[in-house]
Amino acid sequence: MSTAVKNQLRVCLLSVQYNIMREMVNKVTFLTSVGFMVLNNAAILAQWFILLRLREDVGGYTMREIMLLWGLTAASFGLAHILFARAFSLPELIIGGKLDAYLVQPKNVLVSVITSSTSVSAIGDFLYGILLMGLCGLGLREWLLALLFTVTGTVIFTAFALLLGSVSFWFLRMDMLEGQVVMGMVSFATYPDGIFEGVSRYLLYFVVPVGMAVYDPVHVLVSFDAAMLLRVLGYAVLLTAVSAAAFYRGLRRYASGSLMGARV
Amino acid sequence: MQAIRVENLSKTFRVRKKEKGMAGSFKAVLHPQTEEIRAVDGVSFAVEEGEMLAFIGPNGAGKSTTIKMLTGILYPDGGRIEVLGVDPTKKRRQLAYLIGTVFGQKEQLWTHLTPYDNFRFSGAVYDLSERETEERIEELSERFELGGFINTPVRNLSLGQRIRCEIVASLIHKPKVLFLDEPTIGLDPVVKENIRLLIMQMNREEHTTIFLTSHDVGDIEKLCRRIIIVNAGQIVLDDSVEHLKRRYPDKRAEKMQTFESPAGHVEPSAIPLEEIIMEIYKSEGRDVSP
Repeated sequence: MSTAVKNQLRVCLLSVQYNIMREMVNKVTFLTSVGFMVLNNAAILAQWFILLRLREDVGGYTMREIMLLWGLTAASFGLAHILFARAFSLPELIIGGKLDAYLVQPKNVLVSVITSSTSVSAIGDFLYGILLMGLCGLGLREWLLALLFTVTGTVIFTAFALLLGSVSFWFLRMDMLEGQVVMGMVSFATYPDGIFEGVSRYLLYFVVPVGMAVYDPVHVLVSFDAAMLLRVLGYAVLLTAVSAAAFYRGLRRYASGSLMGARV
Repeated sequence: MQAIRVENLSKTFRVRKKEKGMAGSFKAVLHPQTEEIRAVDGVSFAVEEGEMLAFIGPNGAGKSTTIKMLTGILYPDGGRIEVLGVDPTKKRRQLAYLIGTVFGQKEQLWTHLTPYDNFRFSGAVYDLSERETEERIEELSERFELGGFINTPVRNLSLGQRIRCEIVASLIHKPKVLFLDEPTIGLDPVVKENIRLLIMQMNREEHTTIFLTSHDVGDIEKLCRRIIIVNAGQIVLDDSVEHLKRRYPDKRAEKMQTFESPAGHVEPSAIPLEEIIMEIYKSEGRDVSP
């Protein structure tokens, strides 16, 4: 590993560590945020338990597949918001001219920006996701695949948010659209893909990348398919490259700002 | 040797125009209109190594935009920049190792952390080893007298203490050029004087080039020998502070006494520098009266 990459990793780890330290300043808020997120997720999953007692499957998914779907979504979404939370609020930084502090550092701007914030409740999402997958009785190979797909899911969620957020370099008020599309993506990711057909299915694979982030990984976990695994990996790399290119292209249009502000 | 060289630098912002009221908002949605504002317009200058330069002008003159282009934050639309021989538009990261920045209006420190933790983070950002960082923190902490509050979270510090910490964070990697954008804004006179002395000391001991923007004439008079005044994106004056005072003799005093000394030299005006600067701002069509 080159010295530059090592140094960048050292800064990223310190950044994430300091973010978590900030969130832990108030221990009660920290623990209740994490705990309530686990409870929230569990409450919604209870509805699936009831539904799947009434019928054998929904869209080809039994309770085990539903748990894998939820586990993978929660773990990926959680990890993305623990490590790269700022990618999900990028328009606020761009429109508010708050990228200056990152641009004067001798580090990769994109990595420094997206690792500069952490969501506390996401720790609850991540723990819940891992717990759910643990309850699915996965073998060693399946666990390794599940962890790999948690990483690819994290990358796809983050890269997609980054791509939408980068549009703010060209158009104002993209924050509203970004928030809605990303939350919509997460909502779709908690339903079996078998219930979507035609255009909606096409959209979920090629426009809003839920298919690559969650559906295909669940299919691979249930029944191993090397081509599908490679497709997911390739898509994660491609989307990351496109999003990073959009960010750097947009950065040339960055207008900074003169509003008073603090790095909190 | 020149630390900064700028040739024909320009930057234009496109700003949306909207008529007043709700009707104006609807109209702006259907027929969006934009206006081009030339924030920096063909600016050229050079700064020598170790020099302390005041780069001033009224609000909206283009000072901050220029400083942001010099530090690699903004991309210029035209012209050429070299800071310590590095083009910020092409080698931003390489340049960042060589320069320090303090923006008085924007905190760069993490407010929930102590200054000590912030400095350690800065050390990591500039690839200093743990030992190098500790040594530099100790040295700067002593010089800037941070001992009493180095372990207090930044959000609990007074503004003066915070600015001192901001400056220390920007110096952790021993930059060769320090860009200070209104570093004394909002500070009381005693703290301002303290900060100025520290900047002077740093310039003297480490030969750091200082590029200062400030609305405080005290900063300019105490720190800088040379002054560049910008207005409407263009340089309207580039001169030494001393010569500036000679060029703008006190008209009130002129009526009562001559400025010729026995040796034939023109004595500097008794008029405060602040009034001279106000006159220059006004003469460029800007009304800066209160």
